Amino acid sequence: MTSSTWFKILIALTLGITAGVIYGWVIDPIEYTDITPNLLRDDFRADYVLMVAEANQMEQDSETAARRLAILGSDSPVQIVTSTLDFAIKNNFTQNDVLLLQGLLTAMQTYQPQAINGP
Amino acid sequence: MRLFLRNATLHLVLALLIGLGLGLAYSWLIAPVTYVDANPAILRADFKDQYRNVIAASYAASHDLARARARINLLSDTDPVGELSAQAQRMLSAGEPFARVQSLAQLATDLQQGFVTILIPGTPFIAVINTPTLETPFNAQETLITPSEFIELTFAPTSSFEQTPFAPQSIFTPTPRPTYTLIPPQGAPFSLVAQEPVCDPNLLPGLLQITLLDERRRQVSGIEIIVTWAAGDDRFFTGFKPELGNGYADFVMQADTIYSVRVERGGSLVPNISAPTCTDPNGVNYIGGLLLTFQQT
Repeated sequence: MTSSTWFKILIALTLGITAGVIYGWVIDPIEYTDITPNLLRDDFRADYVLMVAEANQMEQDSETAARRLAILGSDSPVQIVTSTLDFAIKNNFTQNDVLLLQGLLTAMQTYQPQAINGP
Repeated sequence: MRLFLRNATLHLVLALLIGLGLGLAYSWLIAPVTYVDANPAILRADFKDQYRNVIAASYAASHDLARARARINLLSDTDPVGELSAQAQRMLSAGEPFARVQSLAQLATDLQQGFVTILIPGTPFIAVINTPTLETPFNAQETLITPSEFIELTFAPTSSFEQTPFAPQSIFTPTPRPTYTLIPPQGAPFSLVAQEPVCDPNLLPGLLQITLLDERRRQVSGIEIIVTWAAGDDRFFTGFKPELGNGYADFVMQADTIYSVRVERGGSLVPNISAPTCTDPNGVNYIGGLLLTFQQT
């Protein structure tokens, strides 16, 4: 085969790869189901943390609040609430919501996980 | 073979197909689209349960039904009330304490009936009734929570911030002020007012259906019922099947077993309860059910 033929084959190969990637990334990307909460969009995460704050205001149970926050990822509860508080302030959450988040942040800052008794 | 080797068109097509395959392998297997910014509707089932729990706990604190409904709708359940009830029953079956399950049941009940029922332990039930038109409509198509939505949904009670610590806590819904209706006075005992056999072959054999009513004949949820028999006992609560009524609960009796039923809150024991025998139009006997109605006196 001539070099011209090889060049055409290379062009065809490149076109094929490009088409395949476009199809796989844009036209028919993998659809995820059964995701974990750490992949939630920022506003949904913030709303989830706000719910935890609302519940914690009544329950006053830092252990439960920390456990509920833990499903949002490997960050510490304090980090999760702090970033949510930033998001809430930037996005003009109501003062009441911000107060609730601040209350949760205080609770998480003072919260100490109970030690597991070993054998 | 020689023809193949010499046919440039075939070479090009083959190269294109190989490239396509490589591209798909790369985009689907090696570096698939990384999923971020997901919505709660595609959470794994156990995380959805956790999400519902937190919604219910939040609702128990805020009594903001519109906001709770909007949050529940984010999960895109086909039957949100049914899902809440089913989860409550799963949790009870798993031995979770009733206090933890109660918020789910309360949210299911309130979503079903469309107004806020506030259950404060140790105090009478208080129903805060909103006119349905006051409720913020939720657009099921809308999944983006924007700050403006939060502003619209800021019906969260602020009374806890405004009250003195010693004042008895009262809970408010959005303005205009709701109508407060006292449902049952605490401790008023439930008495059996009706006992009817239910001969319906479509129902479970031996189904014991119980309905609790207050003095005004409104159904009462969250009341424990104790059924005992020679070999054991069972406890369950009204309100876990809001589609059948907020004061409804049921239990499946075995044939030839005698039960006693007692409503936990000051109710007297109703002895000698058993599944009746019914006869269908063809003259065939089958085990029927029983409907007990208790009312506060």
